[in-house]
Amino acid sequence: MRSLYLKELRLYFTAPIFYAVACVFLIIAGIFFSNAMLRQSMFAAQIAQYQVNTPVGLSEIVIQPVFDGISILVLFLVPLFSMRLLAEEKAQGTIELLFTYPLTDVALVASKYLAGLTVLAILIAFTGVYMGILAFLSPVDWGAVLSAYLGLTLLSGSFLALGLFASSLTTNQIIAAAVSFGLILIFWVMGGLSEYLSSGAFSMVLAELGLSGHLSPFLNGMLVLKDAVFYLFFTLFFLSLTLSVLESRRWRG
Amino acid sequence: MITIEGLCKDYGPRRAIRDLSFDVRQGEVLGFLGPNGAGKTTTMKIITAFMPPSSGRVSVMGFDTVKDTVKARRCIGYLPENNPLYNDLKVESFLAFAAGAKGVKPSQRRARIKEVLHACGLEEVGGRLIGRLSKGFRQRVGLAQALINDPPVLVLDEPTIGLDPKQIYEIRHLIKEVSKERTIILSSHILPEVSQLCDRVAIINKGAIVAIDRPENLTTGLREHTSITLRVGADQAEAARIIGGIPGVVNVAQAEDGGLVVDAVRDSDPRPTIVRRLVEADIDVFEITRRDLSLEEIFMRLITEEGASA
Repeated sequence: MRSLYLKELRLYFTAPIFYAVACVFLIIAGIFFSNAMLRQSMFAAQIAQYQVNTPVGLSEIVIQPVFDGISILVLFLVPLFSMRLLAEEKAQGTIELLFTYPLTDVALVASKYLAGLTVLAILIAFTGVYMGILAFLSPVDWGAVLSAYLGLTLLSGSFLALGLFASSLTTNQIIAAAVSFGLILIFWVMGGLSEYLSSGAFSMVLAELGLSGHLSPFLNGMLVLKDAVFYLFFTLFFLSLTLSVLESRRWRG
Repeated sequence: MITIEGLCKDYGPRRAIRDLSFDVRQGEVLGFLGPNGAGKTTTMKIITAFMPPSSGRVSVMGFDTVKDTVKARRCIGYLPENNPLYNDLKVESFLAFAAGAKGVKPSQRRARIKEVLHACGLEEVGGRLIGRLSKGFRQRVGLAQALINDPPVLVLDEPTIGLDPKQIYEIRHLIKEVSKERTIILSSHILPEVSQLCDRVAIINKGAIVAIDRPENLTTGLREHTSITLRVGADQAEAARIIGGIPGVVNVAQAEDGGLVVDAVRDSDPRPTIVRRLVEADIDVFEITRRDLSLEEIFMRLITEEGASA
């Protein structure tokens, strides 16, 4: 399992797509960050002008919008990373090697998923530079920052599980990317959809199933077990669906 | 070593393999011969645990390929049809991955990779990307990954397809090298290859085995008659008359090229008698040969018979 994980990482870092996506990601995240900083300085100026004495937390003005923005970015880039995970193996026929090597299907799904997650985590970790800049300018509540990173990682993990599932359905990477983008988007807006429905049980379920709603507690620096469990459960659910798709070769003709 | 019992595989309504049963003994090289679509690849995919059979069972070194799949897979090195490889990896990193995935202990990996690179003649391309290699080298990489964990069983699906004659020769040589201490199943539709490399041949058509035997038994066992061609001087009609009187001779005919074709009872060899009688009658004998059916002829005959009866 470890060798498969390492092979996946190697393939990520030898392909140019990683560097291209990482570059675009960091540029846009940087724009989000500088926007948030400019807004913060405007706020500070206003506060000084009117001498209002309301304590304005840095986390609300900088951290929250920056992480909100990054979460949208992750939504776009996860399909680009997840699309190749299984579709490429199937298209190249190398899945035949994996299925005849002494590996279990669980190990296969787990290594693929963990490799994807590692790449995403590395990418997200790069944004730590911005937090460093922030810390250089003003005191930062590191607890809140860590909580935001944890939430972001859990969210990316859920996206990735969707992406891996989509990649298991097809041999075409473009289709895999399109399907995973669609799935991610559906689960992203699902929470918002519930607002338009009468407040029945159905709308409550929709609100809970939405991926976006569970992120805000993390961004507010509140670690809520319920939301963490939701992301983990969501991830495991789609990983087990992926496993079923792989195992379907045993009973399909 | 490998036991296959009552194997069937259905693709939807189409039955690809019908009730296949055979054993492959330790150290044996079994050739799988058959036209395209006969079920060779399907059978190999089931043996290597890529997919399960619809019914029947396969055991490799005593491990059931469905129930004990990981243990069974550990015993097998597999070169799939079309030899799929990771084009974006270097030969050495690919082999390192294969070694790890196939359970070679970390402490032995480096040595094992070196051995396999050497055995497969890949030393000079170890650092190159697989996608940039020639077809012959790719095939060697495929064989190298199959051999990396030193498995007792090798399953090779059309190992020489698409190679040029020199590469074919080299790959065959390589297979011969590694076959010394291994049990091998290989498929091919190149008949000389099979008779050269294999101890036994299974001819498969429309998902069923139509014959399985040693190549030499196949070539002798399926004739109805012993067939002899000879070339004599002087009077052919007289020679034919004399030969016709020899016990065991069924038929004597003139061949188009001026020789004689003698059919004798199966399993008999009347050649010495023929020569003696002809010399006694003062007829010169220039040439006398027993003609065996070639594997091609047997193959064609079995395949077409099967086609006619089906």
